[in-house]
Amino acid sequence: MSDPSPAGSASTLASGEGAVEQPPAIELHDVVKRYRGGVLALDHLDLVIAKQEFVAISGPSGCGKSTLLHLIAALDAPTSGTVLVNGHDLAKMHDLSYFRRREVGLVFQLHDLLPRISVLANVEIVMYGTHRSSRGRHQRANELLEEVDLGGRGSRLPTQLSGGERQRVAIARALANEPGILLADEPTGNLDAESARRIMELFGRVRNDGVTVVMVTHDEALAAMADRTDRIEVGRIVSSTRNR
Amino acid sequence: MTVVTLAVTSSGLETSAAAIISVGKADFTIAQKGVSEILSSTIDTGERARIEATPGVQSAVGVLVETEKINSDNPVFIEIGISPTQLKQFGVTIVRGHAYAPTASHQCMLGWRAAANLGLHVGSSFKANGTVNTVTGIYSTGNSFGDDAAMFPLPAIQGYNRVPGIVTLVFVKVKPGYPVSKVEQSINHNMPELTTIRTASQFGRADRNLVYLKAAVTGSTILAVIIGAVIVGNTMLLSVFERTRELGLLRAVGWTRRRIVGLILIEAVALGLIGACIGVGLSFAVSTGLEHLPALRGILHTNFTPMAFWRALYTALGMTLIGSLYPALRAAFLVPLRALSYE
Ligand SMILES: Nc1ncnc2c1ncn2[C@@H]1O[C@H](COP(=O)(O)OP(=O)(O)OP(=O)(O)O)[C@@H](O)[C@H]1O
Ligand SMILES: [Mg+2]
Repeated sequence: MSDPSPAGSASTLASGEGAVEQPPAIELHDVVKRYRGGVLALDHLDLVIAKQEFVAISGPSGCGKSTLLHLIAALDAPTSGTVLVNGHDLAKMHDLSYFRRREVGLVFQLHDLLPRISVLANVEIVMYGTHRSSRGRHQRANELLEEVDLGGRGSRLPTQLSGGERQRVAIARALANEPGILLADEPTGNLDAESARRIMELFGRVRNDGVTVVMVTHDEALAAMADRTDRIEVGRIVSSTRNR
Repeated sequence: MTVVTLAVTSSGLETSAAAIISVGKADFTIAQKGVSEILSSTIDTGERARIEATPGVQSAVGVLVETEKINSDNPVFIEIGISPTQLKQFGVTIVRGHAYAPTASHQCMLGWRAAANLGLHVGSSFKANGTVNTVTGIYSTGNSFGDDAAMFPLPAIQGYNRVPGIVTLVFVKVKPGYPVSKVEQSINHNMPELTTIRTASQFGRADRNLVYLKAAVTGSTILAVIIGAVIVGNTMLLSVFERTRELGLLRAVGWTRRRIVGLILIEAVALGLIGACIGVGLSFAVSTGLEHLPALRGILHTNFTPMAFWRALYTALGMTLIGSLYPALRAAFLVPLRALSYE
Protein backbone atom coordinates (compact mmCIF):
# COMPACT_ATOMS: atom_id res chain seq x y z
CA MET A 1 0.00 0.00 0.00
CA SER A 2 1.47 3.34 -0.99
CA ASP A 3 0.83 6.48 0.97
CA PRO A 4 -0.66 9.34 -0.96
CA SER A 5 1.89 12.10 -0.43
CA PRO A 6 1.45 15.78 -1.06
CA ALA A 7 3.37 16.93 -4.10
CA GLY A 8 6.50 18.86 -3.26
CA SER A 9 6.62 17.80 0.37
CA ALA A 10 9.62 16.26 2.01
CA SER A 11 8.30 12.86 1.20
CA THR A 12 9.65 11.33 -1.98
CA LEU A 13 10.13 7.83 -3.21
CA ALA A 14 12.94 6.00 -1.50
CA SER A 15 15.92 6.40 -3.76
CA GLY A 16 18.55 4.36 -2.04
CA GLU A 17 19.40 6.96 0.57
CA GLY A 18 17.71 4.91 3.27
CA ALA A 19 15.01 6.41 5.45
CA VAL A 20 12.95 9.07 3.76
CA GLU A 21 11.26 11.77 5.76
CA GLN A 22 7.48 11.41 5.54
CA PRO A 23 4.86 13.79 6.86
CA PRO A 24 3.40 12.63 10.17
CA ALA A 25 0.08 10.84 10.00
CA ILE A 26 -1.57 13.49 12.14
CA GLU A 27 -0.54 17.03 13.03
CA LEU A 28 -2.52 19.58 14.99
CA HIS A 29 -1.15 23.09 15.29
CA ASP A 30 -2.47 25.58 17.80
CA VAL A 31 -5.97 24.14 17.58
CA VAL A 32 -8.81 25.87 19.40
CA LYS A 33 -12.29 24.42 19.46
CA ARG A 34 -14.97 26.53 21.03
CA TYR A 35 -18.52 25.14 20.82
CA ARG A 36 -21.51 27.33 20.25
CA GLY A 37 -22.52 28.43 23.72
CA GLY A 38 -18.95 29.20 24.64
CA VAL A 39 -17.53 25.88 25.92
CA LEU A 40 -13.82 25.83 25.20
CA ALA A 41 -13.19 22.14 24.39
CA LEU A 42 -9.67 22.43 22.98
CA ASP A 43 -7.39 25.22 24.12
CA HIS A 44 -4.41 25.89 21.77
CA LEU A 45 -3.59 22.24 21.44
CA ASP A 46 -0.54 20.91 19.55
CA LEU A 47 -0.16 17.24 18.71
CA VAL A 48 1.96 15.19 16.29
CA ILE A 49 1.45 11.48 15.70
CA ALA A 50 3.85 9.63 13.43
CA LYS A 51 2.83 7.01 10.93
CA GLN A 52 2.28 3.55 12.39
CA GLU A 53 2.26 4.87 15.90
CA PHE A 54 -0.24 3.49 18.40
CA VAL A 55 -1.24 6.37 20.65
CA ALA A 56 -3.66 6.37 23.54
CA ILE A 57 -5.28 9.66 24.51
CA SER A 58 -6.40 9.70 28.12
CA GLY A 59 -7.93 12.23 30.40
CA PRO A 60 -10.94 12.96 32.55
CA SER A 61 -14.46 13.16 31.23
CA GLY A 62 -15.22 16.34 29.35
CA CYS A 63 -11.56 17.28 28.74
CA GLY A 64 -12.01 17.28 24.94
CA LYS A 65 -10.91 13.78 23.85
CA SER A 66 -13.90 13.10 21.58
CA THR A 67 -13.67 16.61 20.19
CA LEU A 68 -10.08 15.94 19.21
CA LEU A 69 -10.98 12.73 17.36
CA HIS A 70 -13.86 14.41 15.55
CA LEU A 71 -11.51 17.08 14.27
CA ILE A 72 -9.05 14.46 12.99
CA ALA A 73 -11.90 12.56 11.30
CA ALA A 74 -13.08 15.75 9.58
CA LEU A 75 -16.46 15.44 11.27
CA ASP A 76 -16.03 18.89 12.74
CA ALA A 77 -13.82 21.90 12.03
CA PRO A 78 -11.63 23.75 14.54
CA THR A 79 -12.46 27.30 15.54
CA SER A 80 -8.85 28.19 14.78
CA GLY A 81 -5.60 26.37 14.07
CA THR A 82 -4.85 23.67 11.50
CA VAL A 83 -5.40 19.93 11.32
CA LEU A 84 -3.22 18.02 8.85
CA VAL A 85 -3.67 14.35 7.98
CA ASN A 86 -0.87 12.79 5.96
CA GLY A 87 0.31 16.34 5.32
CA HIS A 88 -3.04 17.50 3.91
CA ASP A 89 -4.82 20.41 5.53
CA LEU A 90 -8.36 19.22 6.15
CA ALA A 91 -9.72 22.75 5.85
CA LYS A 92 -8.59 22.79 2.23
CA MET A 93 -9.90 19.37 1.35
CA HIS A 94 -12.71 19.28 -1.19
CA ASP A 95 -14.05 15.78 -0.98
CA LEU A 96 -14.57 15.09 2.71
CA SER A 97 -16.77 12.09 1.94
CA TYR A 98 -13.87 10.45 0.17
CA PHE A 99 -11.54 11.29 3.02
CA ARG A 100 -13.88 9.83 5.61
CA ARG A 101 -14.46 6.75 3.50
CA ARG A 102 -10.90 5.95 2.55
CA GLU A 103 -8.31 7.59 4.77
CA VAL A 104 -9.64 7.22 8.29
CA GLY A 105 -11.56 4.47 9.99
CA LEU A 106 -13.68 5.55 12.90
CA VAL A 107 -14.97 3.59 15.88
CA PHE A 108 -17.49 5.61 17.83
CA GLN A 109 -17.79 6.03 21.55
CA LEU A 110 -21.15 4.31 21.44
CA HIS A 111 -20.36 1.62 18.89
CA ASP A 112 -22.85 2.71 16.28
CA LEU A 113 -24.02 -0.24 14.23
CA LEU A 114 -27.14 -0.10 12.09
CA PRO A 115 -29.60 -2.13 14.15
CA ARG A 116 -31.80 -3.42 11.33
CA ILE A 117 -29.21 -5.06 9.12
CA SER A 118 -26.87 -7.98 9.70
CA VAL A 119 -23.41 -7.71 11.15
CA LEU A 120 -21.94 -8.57 7.76
CA ALA A 121 -23.99 -5.89 6.02
CA ASN A 122 -22.84 -3.39 8.64
CA VAL A 123 -19.27 -4.00 7.56
CA GLU A 124 -20.10 -4.05 3.84
CA ILE A 125 -21.99 -0.79 3.96
CA VAL A 126 -18.89 1.39 4.18
CA MET A 127 -17.45 -0.18 1.03
CA TYR A 128 -20.14 1.19 -1.29
CA GLY A 129 -18.66 3.65 -3.72
CA THR A 130 -15.25 1.97 -3.70
CA HIS A 131 -13.68 -0.12 -6.43
CA ARG A 132 -14.93 -3.34 -4.88
CA SER A 133 -17.61 -5.43 -6.55
CA SER A 134 -20.46 -6.68 -4.39
CA ARG A 135 -18.71 -10.03 -4.24
CA GLY A 136 -15.47 -8.37 -3.29
CA ARG A 137 -17.24 -6.45 -0.54
CA HIS A 138 -18.80 -9.61 0.76
CA GLN A 139 -15.51 -11.44 0.79
CA ARG A 140 -13.62 -8.59 2.45
CA ALA A 141 -16.32 -8.22 5.11
CA ASN A 142 -16.07 -11.91 5.90
CA GLU A 143 -12.28 -11.71 6.14
CA LEU A 144 -12.51 -8.76 8.50
CA LEU A 145 -15.01 -10.51 10.75
CA GLU A 146 -12.66 -13.47 10.78
CA GLU A 147 -9.84 -11.16 11.78
CA VAL A 148 -11.75 -9.83 14.79
CA ASP A 149 -12.72 -13.38 15.82
CA LEU A 150 -16.31 -13.07 14.68
CA GLY A 151 -16.18 -15.53 11.80
CA GLY A 152 -19.56 -17.20 11.45
CA ARG A 153 -21.48 -14.43 13.19
CA GLY A 154 -21.97 -12.36 10.05
CA SER A 155 -25.64 -13.18 9.60
CA ARG A 156 -26.64 -12.09 13.10
CA LEU A 157 -28.21 -8.78 13.93
CA PRO A 158 -26.13 -6.39 16.07
CA THR A 159 -28.65 -6.77 18.90
CA GLN A 160 -27.82 -10.45 19.04
CA LEU A 161 -24.17 -9.75 19.93
CA SER A 162 -22.49 -8.90 23.22
CA GLY A 163 -21.05 -5.43 23.81
CA GLY A 164 -17.49 -6.59 23.17
CA GLU A 165 -18.51 -8.37 19.98
CA ARG A 166 -20.33 -5.29 18.71
CA GLN A 167 -17.26 -3.20 19.44
CA ARG A 168 -15.22 -5.60 17.33
CA VAL A 169 -17.73 -5.36 14.47
CA ALA A 170 -17.31 -1.59 14.62
CA ILE A 171 -13.54 -2.05 14.42
CA ALA A 172 -13.90 -4.41 11.45
CA ARG A 173 -16.05 -1.82 9.76
CA ALA A 174 -13.54 0.94 10.44
CA LEU A 175 -10.80 -1.17 8.81
CA ALA A 176 -12.83 -2.19 5.76
CA ASN A 177 -11.46 0.38 3.34
CA GLU A 178 -7.84 -0.11 4.47
CA PRO A 179 -7.49 3.32 6.03
CA GLY A 180 -4.06 4.59 7.00
CA ILE A 181 -5.47 5.79 10.30
CA LEU A 182 -7.78 4.13 12.78
CA LEU A 183 -9.52 6.40 15.29
CA ALA A 184 -11.33 4.80 18.21
CA ASP A 185 -13.29 6.66 20.85
CA GLU A 186 -13.53 4.64 24.09
CA PRO A 187 -13.62 1.33 22.26
CA THR A 188 -13.38 -0.48 25.55
CA GLY A 189 -15.97 1.75 27.16
CA ASN A 190 -18.08 -0.70 29.11
CA LEU A 191 -16.25 -3.94 28.50
CA ASP A 192 -14.83 -6.28 31.08
CA ALA A 193 -11.07 -6.34 31.53
CA GLU A 194 -10.55 -9.45 29.41
CA SER A 195 -12.54 -8.16 26.39
CA ALA A 196 -10.79 -4.80 26.68
CA ARG A 197 -7.38 -6.46 26.68
CA ARG A 198 -8.27 -8.43 23.55
CA ILE A 199 -9.27 -5.26 21.78
CA MET A 200 -5.95 -3.67 22.73
CA GLU A 201 -4.18 -6.68 21.26
CA LEU A 202 -6.23 -6.32 18.11
CA PHE A 203 -5.12 -2.69 17.82
CA GLY A 204 -1.53 -3.83 18.30
CA ARG A 205 -1.90 -6.19 15.34
CA VAL A 206 -3.54 -3.49 13.25
CA ARG A 207 -0.62 -1.18 14.02
CA ASN A 208 1.80 -3.95 12.99
CA ASP A 209 -0.03 -4.11 9.64
CA GLY A 210 0.99 -0.49 9.07
CA VAL A 211 -1.97 1.45 10.39
CA THR A 212 -1.68 4.47 12.67
CA VAL A 213 -3.94 3.90 15.66
CA VAL A 214 -5.30 6.62 17.91
CA MET A 215 -7.56 5.53 20.72
CA VAL A 216 -9.26 7.47 23.44
CA THR A 217 -9.65 5.94 26.88
CA HIS A 218 -9.95 7.09 30.43
CA ASP A 219 -8.49 3.78 31.64
CA GLU A 220 -4.85 4.42 32.57
CA ALA A 221 -3.93 0.74 32.63
CA LEU A 222 -5.20 0.18 29.09
CA ALA A 223 -3.58 3.39 27.90
CA ALA A 224 -0.27 2.00 29.06
CA MET A 225 -0.58 -0.83 26.52
CA ALA A 226 -0.20 1.64 23.65
CA ASP A 227 3.16 2.83 22.28
CA ARG A 228 2.55 6.26 23.71
CA THR A 229 0.10 7.85 26.09
CA ASP A 230 -0.89 11.49 25.82
CA ARG A 231 -2.86 12.96 28.66
CA ILE A 232 -5.31 15.80 28.08
CA GLU A 233 -6.71 18.02 30.76
CA VAL A 234 -9.16 20.84 30.05
CA GLY A 235 -8.35 21.03 26.38
CA ARG A 236 -4.56 20.82 26.52
CA ILE A 237 -2.02 18.00 26.39
CA VAL A 238 -0.45 17.95 29.81
CA SER A 239 1.87 14.98 29.41
CA SER A 240 3.17 12.56 26.82
CA THR A 241 4.59 9.25 27.98
CA ARG A 242 6.40 6.75 25.78
CA ASN A 243 5.60 3.20 26.91
CA ARG A 244 8.03 1.37 24.65
CA MET B 1 -56.73 3.70 -6.98
CA THR B 2 -59.43 6.24 -7.75
CA VAL B 3 -57.43 7.15 -10.81
CA VAL B 4 -57.41 3.65 -12.12
CA THR B 5 -61.06 3.02 -11.39
CA LEU B 6 -62.15 6.24 -13.03
CA ALA B 7 -59.86 5.74 -15.99
CA VAL B 8 -61.12 2.23 -16.46
CA THR B 9 -64.75 3.28 -16.05
CA SER B 10 -64.50 6.12 -18.52
CA SER B 11 -62.66 4.13 -21.11
CA GLY B 12 -65.24 1.39 -20.58
CA LEU B 13 -68.10 3.78 -21.23
CA GLU B 14 -66.30 5.21 -24.19
CA THR B 15 -65.78 1.79 -25.67
CA SER B 16 -69.43 0.97 -25.06
CA ALA B 17 -70.49 4.12 -26.86
CA ALA B 18 -67.94 3.51 -29.55
CA ALA B 19 -69.31 0.01 -29.83
CA ILE B 20 -72.74 1.27 -30.85
CA ILE B 21 -71.06 3.21 -33.57
CA SER B 22 -68.76 0.44 -34.59
CA VAL B 23 -71.70 -1.94 -34.79
CA GLY B 24 -72.48 -0.10 -38.00
CA LYS B 25 -69.82 -0.55 -40.61
CA ALA B 26 -69.92 3.06 -41.76
CA ASP B 27 -67.49 5.76 -42.80
CA PHE B 28 -68.97 7.99 -40.15
CA THR B 29 -71.97 8.31 -37.89
CA ILE B 30 -74.30 11.24 -37.38
CA ALA B 31 -75.89 12.17 -34.07
CA GLN B 32 -77.63 15.18 -32.59
CA LYS B 33 -75.13 17.74 -31.37
CA GLY B 34 -74.64 18.46 -27.67
CA VAL B 35 -76.90 15.84 -26.13
CA SER B 36 -75.97 14.70 -22.65
CA GLU B 37 -76.07 11.08 -23.63
CA ILE B 38 -75.64 9.54 -27.04
CA LEU B 39 -78.87 7.52 -26.75
CA SER B 40 -81.01 10.65 -26.38
CA SER B 41 -79.99 11.89 -29.81
CA THR B 42 -82.96 12.34 -32.21
CA ILE B 43 -82.85 12.75 -35.98
CA ASP B 44 -86.12 13.11 -37.90
CA THR B 45 -87.18 12.03 -41.38
CA GLY B 46 -86.54 15.42 -42.93
CA GLU B 47 -82.98 15.50 -41.67
CA ARG B 48 -82.44 11.96 -42.85
CA ALA B 49 -83.65 12.90 -46.31
CA ARG B 50 -81.25 15.84 -46.41
CA ILE B 51 -78.39 13.59 -45.32
CA GLU B 52 -79.23 11.15 -48.09
CA ALA B 53 -79.39 14.03 -50.57
CA THR B 54 -75.91 15.31 -49.66
CA PRO B 55 -73.53 14.82 -52.60
CA GLY B 56 -71.21 11.89 -52.04
CA VAL B 57 -73.48 9.95 -49.70
CA GLN B 58 -73.97 6.41 -50.96
CA SER B 59 -76.18 5.13 -48.16
CA ALA B 60 -77.55 6.47 -44.89
CA VAL B 61 -78.84 3.81 -42.52
CA GLY B 62 -81.08 5.17 -39.79
CA VAL B 63 -81.11 3.28 -36.54
CA LEU B 64 -83.22 3.82 -33.42
CA VAL B 65 -81.58 2.75 -30.19
CA GLU B 66 -83.80 2.33 -27.15
CA THR B 67 -83.36 0.70 -23.77
CA GLU B 68 -85.89 -1.30 -21.87
CA LYS B 69 -86.04 -3.16 -18.60
CA ILE B 70 -86.46 -6.79 -19.54
CA ASN B 71 -86.07 -8.25 -16.06
CA SER B 72 -84.10 -7.50 -12.90
CA ASP B 73 -80.96 -8.98 -14.42
CA ASN B 74 -81.25 -6.78 -17.51
CA PRO B 75 -82.46 -3.36 -16.38
CA VAL B 76 -81.09 -1.56 -19.41
CA PHE B 77 -81.44 -3.95 -22.29
CA ILE B 78 -80.52 -2.39 -25.64
CA GLU B 79 -83.01 -2.56 -28.49
CA ILE B 80 -82.04 -1.52 -31.97
CA GLY B 81 -84.62 -0.62 -34.62
CA ILE B 82 -83.35 -1.23 -38.11
CA SER B 83 -84.83 -2.17 -41.48
CA PRO B 84 -84.09 -5.81 -42.42
CA THR B 85 -82.87 -4.66 -45.85
CA GLN B 86 -80.11 -2.64 -44.28
CA LEU B 87 -78.75 -5.32 -41.94
CA LYS B 88 -75.94 -6.27 -44.24
CA GLN B 89 -74.76 -2.69 -44.79
CA PHE B 90 -74.89 -2.26 -41.05
CA GLY B 91 -72.53 -5.16 -40.50
CA VAL B 92 -74.95 -7.71 -39.06
CA THR B 93 -74.49 -11.39 -39.83
CA ILE B 94 -77.39 -13.75 -39.20
CA VAL B 95 -75.98 -16.91 -37.66
CA ARG B 96 -79.25 -18.81 -37.09
CA GLY B 97 -82.70 -18.47 -38.59
CA HIS B 98 -83.58 -15.48 -40.74
CA ALA B 99 -84.37 -11.76 -40.55
CA TYR B 100 -87.76 -10.38 -39.51
CA ALA B 101 -90.18 -8.94 -42.03
CA PRO B 102 -89.77 -5.17 -42.68
CA THR B 103 -93.04 -4.12 -41.10
CA ALA B 104 -93.75 -7.08 -38.79
CA SER B 105 -94.86 -6.02 -35.34
CA HIS B 106 -94.30 -9.23 -33.39
CA GLN B 107 -90.90 -10.34 -34.62
CA CYS B 108 -87.34 -9.71 -33.54
CA MET B 109 -83.80 -11.03 -33.67
CA LEU B 110 -81.50 -11.53 -30.71
CA GLY B 111 -77.76 -11.00 -30.53
CA TRP B 112 -76.04 -14.28 -29.71
CA ARG B 113 -74.90 -13.05 -26.28
CA ALA B 114 -78.40 -11.89 -25.40
CA ALA B 115 -79.85 -15.19 -26.62
CA ALA B 116 -77.39 -17.10 -24.50
CA ASN B 117 -78.04 -14.92 -21.43
CA LEU B 118 -81.79 -15.18 -21.75
CA GLY B 119 -81.76 -18.84 -22.77
CA LEU B 120 -83.76 -18.20 -25.96
CA HIS B 121 -83.57 -19.77 -29.43
CA VAL B 122 -84.98 -19.29 -32.89
CA GLY B 123 -88.74 -19.74 -32.52
CA SER B 124 -88.80 -18.76 -28.84
CA SER B 125 -91.03 -16.01 -27.56
CA PHE B 126 -89.35 -12.87 -26.30
CA LYS B 127 -91.39 -10.42 -24.28
CA ALA B 128 -90.21 -6.93 -25.12
CA ASN B 129 -91.14 -3.79 -26.99
CA GLY B 130 -94.64 -3.96 -25.59
CA THR B 131 -95.57 -7.32 -27.08
CA VAL B 132 -94.60 -10.92 -27.29
CA ASN B 133 -92.22 -11.37 -30.19
CA THR B 134 -91.15 -14.44 -32.06
CA VAL B 135 -87.41 -14.75 -32.36
CA THR B 136 -86.81 -15.21 -36.09
CA GLY B 137 -83.04 -15.27 -35.98
CA ILE B 138 -79.84 -14.95 -33.98
CA TYR B 139 -77.26 -12.45 -35.22
CA SER B 140 -73.69 -11.48 -34.58
CA THR B 141 -72.10 -8.06 -34.97
CA GLY B 142 -68.66 -8.84 -33.69
CA ASN B 143 -68.81 -6.61 -30.64
CA SER B 144 -70.18 -7.38 -27.21
CA PHE B 145 -72.38 -4.31 -27.09
CA GLY B 146 -74.25 -5.17 -30.27
CA ASP B 147 -74.38 -8.86 -29.47
CA ASP B 148 -75.95 -8.26 -26.07
CA ALA B 149 -78.94 -6.54 -27.66
CA ALA B 150 -82.04 -7.27 -29.74
CA MET B 151 -83.09 -5.95 -33.16
CA PHE B 152 -86.62 -5.03 -34.23
CA PRO B 153 -88.20 -3.74 -37.44
CA LEU B 154 -87.81 0.04 -37.36
CA PRO B 155 -91.54 0.96 -37.61
CA ALA B 156 -92.45 -1.41 -34.80
CA ILE B 157 -89.99 0.04 -32.32
CA GLN B 158 -90.74 3.62 -33.37
CA GLY B 159 -94.42 2.94 -32.83
CA TYR B 160 -93.97 1.37 -29.44
CA ASN B 161 -91.79 4.24 -28.23
CA ARG B 162 -94.11 6.81 -29.91
CA VAL B 163 -91.37 8.38 -31.97
CA PRO B 164 -92.57 7.84 -35.54
CA GLY B 165 -89.96 8.65 -38.12
CA ILE B 166 -87.27 9.33 -35.53
CA VAL B 167 -83.91 7.59 -35.42
CA THR B 168 -81.05 7.95 -32.95
CA LEU B 169 -78.08 7.66 -35.25
CA VAL B 170 -77.53 7.69 -38.99
CA PHE B 171 -74.70 5.59 -40.36
CA VAL B 172 -73.27 7.02 -43.56
CA LYS B 173 -71.28 5.28 -46.26
CA VAL B 174 -69.52 7.52 -48.76
CA LYS B 175 -69.48 6.87 -52.50
CA PRO B 176 -66.15 5.63 -53.79
CA GLY B 177 -64.02 8.53 -54.98
CA TYR B 178 -65.48 11.08 -52.58
CA PRO B 179 -63.25 12.17 -49.68
CA VAL B 180 -64.94 11.26 -46.41
CA SER B 181 -63.91 14.47 -44.68
CA LYS B 182 -65.46 16.62 -47.44
CA VAL B 183 -68.80 14.86 -47.08
CA GLU B 184 -68.58 15.21 -43.31
CA GLN B 185 -67.85 18.91 -43.67
CA SER B 186 -70.82 19.64 -45.86
CA ILE B 187 -73.17 17.80 -43.48
CA ASN B 188 -71.78 19.68 -40.49
CA HIS B 189 -72.17 22.91 -42.42
CA ASN B 190 -75.68 22.33 -43.77
CA MET B 191 -77.10 20.84 -40.58
CA PRO B 192 -75.55 22.62 -37.60
CA GLU B 193 -77.88 20.80 -35.20
CA LEU B 194 -76.14 17.53 -36.05
CA THR B 195 -72.61 16.35 -35.59
CA THR B 196 -70.56 13.72 -37.34
CA ILE B 197 -68.51 11.21 -35.43
CA ARG B 198 -65.77 9.13 -36.86
CA THR B 199 -63.79 7.70 -33.99
CA ALA B 200 -64.40 6.97 -30.36
CA SER B 201 -62.33 9.96 -29.32
CA GLN B 202 -64.70 12.25 -31.20
CA PHE B 203 -67.47 10.99 -29.04
CA GLY B 204 -67.40 13.98 -26.76
CA ARG B 205 -68.93 15.99 -29.55
CA ALA B 206 -72.16 14.16 -29.04
CA ASP B 207 -71.88 12.81 -25.55
CA ARG B 208 -71.12 15.31 -22.81
CA ASN B 209 -71.07 12.76 -19.98
CA LEU B 210 -67.91 11.33 -21.35
CA VAL B 211 -66.27 14.74 -21.52
CA TYR B 212 -67.07 15.33 -17.87
CA LEU B 213 -65.87 11.89 -16.91
CA LYS B 214 -62.60 12.50 -18.75
CA ALA B 215 -62.18 15.81 -16.95
CA ALA B 216 -62.87 14.02 -13.68
CA VAL B 217 -60.12 11.53 -14.50
CA THR B 218 -57.61 14.30 -15.15
CA GLY B 219 -58.70 16.21 -12.06
CA SER B 220 -58.57 13.22 -9.80
CA THR B 221 -55.19 12.21 -11.21
CA ILE B 222 -53.79 15.58 -10.17
CA LEU B 223 -55.51 15.35 -6.81
CA ALA B 224 -54.25 11.81 -6.28
CA VAL B 225 -50.71 12.91 -7.11
CA ILE B 226 -50.91 15.74 -4.57
CA ILE B 227 -52.45 13.60 -1.84
CA GLY B 228 -50.09 10.74 -2.62
CA ALA B 229 -47.08 13.03 -2.59
CA VAL B 230 -48.08 14.39 0.80
CA ILE B 231 -48.55 10.88 2.20
CA VAL B 232 -45.29 9.56 0.75
CA GLY B 233 -43.46 12.70 1.84
CA ASN B 234 -44.80 12.43 5.34
CA THR B 235 -43.97 8.74 5.60
CA MET B 236 -40.46 9.24 4.33
CA LEU B 237 -39.87 12.28 6.52
CA LEU B 238 -40.90 10.28 9.57
CA SER B 239 -38.63 7.46 8.54
CA VAL B 240 -35.75 9.92 8.03
CA PHE B 241 -36.30 11.42 11.48
CA GLU B 242 -36.54 7.99 13.00
CA ARG B 243 -33.22 7.03 11.44
CA THR B 244 -31.37 10.28 12.03
CA ARG B 245 -28.61 8.50 13.92
CA GLU B 246 -28.19 5.84 11.26
CA LEU B 247 -28.13 8.34 8.44
CA GLY B 248 -25.64 10.48 10.35
CA LEU B 249 -23.50 7.39 10.81
CA LEU B 250 -23.56 6.67 7.09
CA ARG B 251 -22.44 10.25 6.42
CA ALA B 252 -19.72 9.91 9.05
CA VAL B 253 -18.31 6.77 7.47
CA GLY B 254 -18.07 8.49 4.13
CA TRP B 255 -21.37 8.06 2.30
CA THR B 256 -21.83 10.93 -0.10
CA ARG B 257 -24.92 13.13 -0.07
CA ARG B 258 -25.85 11.77 -3.46
CA ARG B 259 -25.80 8.21 -2.17
CA ILE B 260 -28.05 9.17 0.76
CA VAL B 261 -30.51 10.88 -1.61
CA GLY B 262 -30.45 7.75 -3.76
CA LEU B 263 -31.14 5.53 -0.75
CA ILE B 264 -34.18 7.54 0.32
CA LEU B 265 -35.56 7.80 -3.22
CA ILE B 266 -35.19 4.08 -3.83
CA GLU B 267 -36.99 3.32 -0.59
CA ALA B 268 -39.75 5.73 -1.53
CA VAL B 269 -40.11 4.27 -5.02
CA ALA B 270 -40.36 0.78 -3.56
CA LEU B 271 -43.07 2.07 -1.25
CA GLY B 272 -44.83 3.79 -4.16
CA LEU B 273 -44.75 0.70 -6.34
CA ILE B 274 -46.18 -1.51 -3.62
CA GLY B 275 -48.91 1.10 -3.17
CA ALA B 276 -49.58 1.20 -6.90
CA CYS B 277 -49.90 -2.59 -7.08
CA ILE B 278 -52.36 -2.65 -4.19
CA GLY B 279 -54.24 0.24 -5.83
CA VAL B 280 -54.51 -1.47 -9.19
CA GLY B 281 -55.68 -4.68 -7.54
CA LEU B 282 -58.33 -2.87 -5.52
CA SER B 283 -59.58 -0.86 -8.45
CA PHE B 284 -59.78 -3.97 -10.57
CA ALA B 285 -61.96 -5.50 -7.89
CA VAL B 286 -64.10 -2.35 -7.58
CA SER B 287 -64.71 -1.87 -11.28
CA THR B 288 -65.39 -5.54 -11.85
CA GLY B 289 -67.87 -5.24 -9.00
CA LEU B 290 -69.43 -2.16 -10.62
CA GLU B 291 -69.76 -3.97 -13.88
CA HIS B 292 -71.73 -6.75 -12.22
CA LEU B 293 -74.00 -4.33 -10.38
CA PRO B 294 -77.50 -5.03 -11.76
CA ALA B 295 -78.10 -1.32 -12.40
CA LEU B 296 -75.04 -1.05 -14.59
CA ARG B 297 -75.16 -4.40 -16.32
CA GLY B 298 -74.96 -3.97 -20.03
CA ILE B 299 -73.99 -0.32 -19.78
CA LEU B 300 -70.57 -0.57 -18.27
CA HIS B 301 -68.05 -2.76 -19.93
CA THR B 302 -64.87 -2.12 -18.04
CA ASN B 303 -61.82 -2.66 -20.10
CA PHE B 304 -58.48 -2.72 -18.40
CA THR B 305 -56.28 -1.17 -21.00
CA PRO B 306 -52.53 -1.23 -20.51
CA MET B 307 -52.87 2.57 -20.53
CA ALA B 308 -54.76 2.47 -17.25
CA PHE B 309 -51.98 0.45 -15.65
CA TRP B 310 -49.28 2.74 -16.98
CA ARG B 311 -51.21 5.73 -15.81
CA ALA B 312 -51.38 4.23 -12.33
CA LEU B 313 -47.72 3.37 -12.44
CA TYR B 314 -46.41 6.74 -13.46
CA THR B 315 -48.87 8.52 -11.26
CA ALA B 316 -47.45 6.54 -8.35
CA LEU B 317 -43.91 7.18 -9.49
CA GLY B 318 -44.53 10.88 -9.95
CA MET B 319 -46.04 11.37 -6.55
CA THR B 320 -43.32 9.28 -4.94
CA LEU B 321 -40.54 11.34 -6.44
CA ILE B 322 -42.21 14.67 -5.70
CA GLY B 323 -43.08 13.61 -2.17
CA SER B 324 -39.73 12.13 -1.24
CA LEU B 325 -37.51 14.89 -2.56
CA TYR B 326 -37.67 16.98 0.58
CA PRO B 327 -37.09 14.04 2.97
CA ALA B 328 -34.17 12.89 0.80
CA LEU B 329 -32.51 16.31 0.87
CA ARG B 330 -33.22 16.61 4.54
CA ALA B 331 -31.38 13.31 5.08
CA ALA B 332 -28.50 14.28 2.81
CA PHE B 333 -27.85 17.54 4.61
CA LEU B 334 -27.81 16.11 8.12
CA VAL B 335 -24.75 17.24 10.03
CA PRO B 336 -23.12 13.91 10.95
CA LEU B 337 -22.07 14.77 14.49
CA ARG B 338 -25.36 16.35 15.40
CA ALA B 339 -27.23 13.41 13.85
CA LEU B 340 -25.13 10.95 15.81
CA SER B 341 -26.06 12.56 19.10
CA TYR B 342 -29.73 12.74 18.11
CA GLU B 343 -32.10 10.91 20.38
N1 LIG C 1 -21.86 19.74 20.49
C1 LIG C 1 -21.41 20.33 21.62
N2 LIG C 1 -21.90 21.55 21.94
C2 LIG C 1 -21.45 22.18 23.05
N3 LIG C 1 -20.57 21.67 23.88
C3 LIG C 1 -20.02 20.46 23.61
C4 LIG C 1 -20.45 19.73 22.43
N4 LIG C 1 -19.77 18.55 22.42
C5 LIG C 1 -18.98 18.56 23.51
N5 LIG C 1 -19.14 19.70 24.22
C6 LIG C 1 -18.41 20.08 25.42
O1 LIG C 1 -17.03 20.12 25.12
C7 LIG C 1 -16.28 19.56 26.18
C8 LIG C 1 -15.43 18.41 25.62
O2 LIG C 1 -16.29 17.39 25.21
P1 LIG C 1 -15.77 15.99 24.68
O3 LIG C 1 -16.95 15.21 24.20
O4 LIG C 1 -14.68 16.22 23.74
O5 LIG C 1 -15.23 15.34 26.03
P2 LIG C 1 -14.57 13.92 26.25
O6 LIG C 1 -13.19 14.15 26.71
O7 LIG C 1 -14.76 13.06 25.06
O8 LIG C 1 -15.43 13.37 27.47
P3 LIG C 1 -15.87 11.85 27.79
O9 LIG C 1 -14.71 11.15 28.35
O10 LIG C 1 -16.96 12.01 28.79
O11 LIG C 1 -16.36 11.28 26.49
C9 LIG C 1 -17.25 19.14 27.25
O12 LIG C 1 -17.31 20.14 28.21
C10 LIG C 1 -18.58 19.04 26.52
O13 LIG C 1 -19.64 19.38 27.37
MG1 LIG D 1 -15.91 11.40 24.56
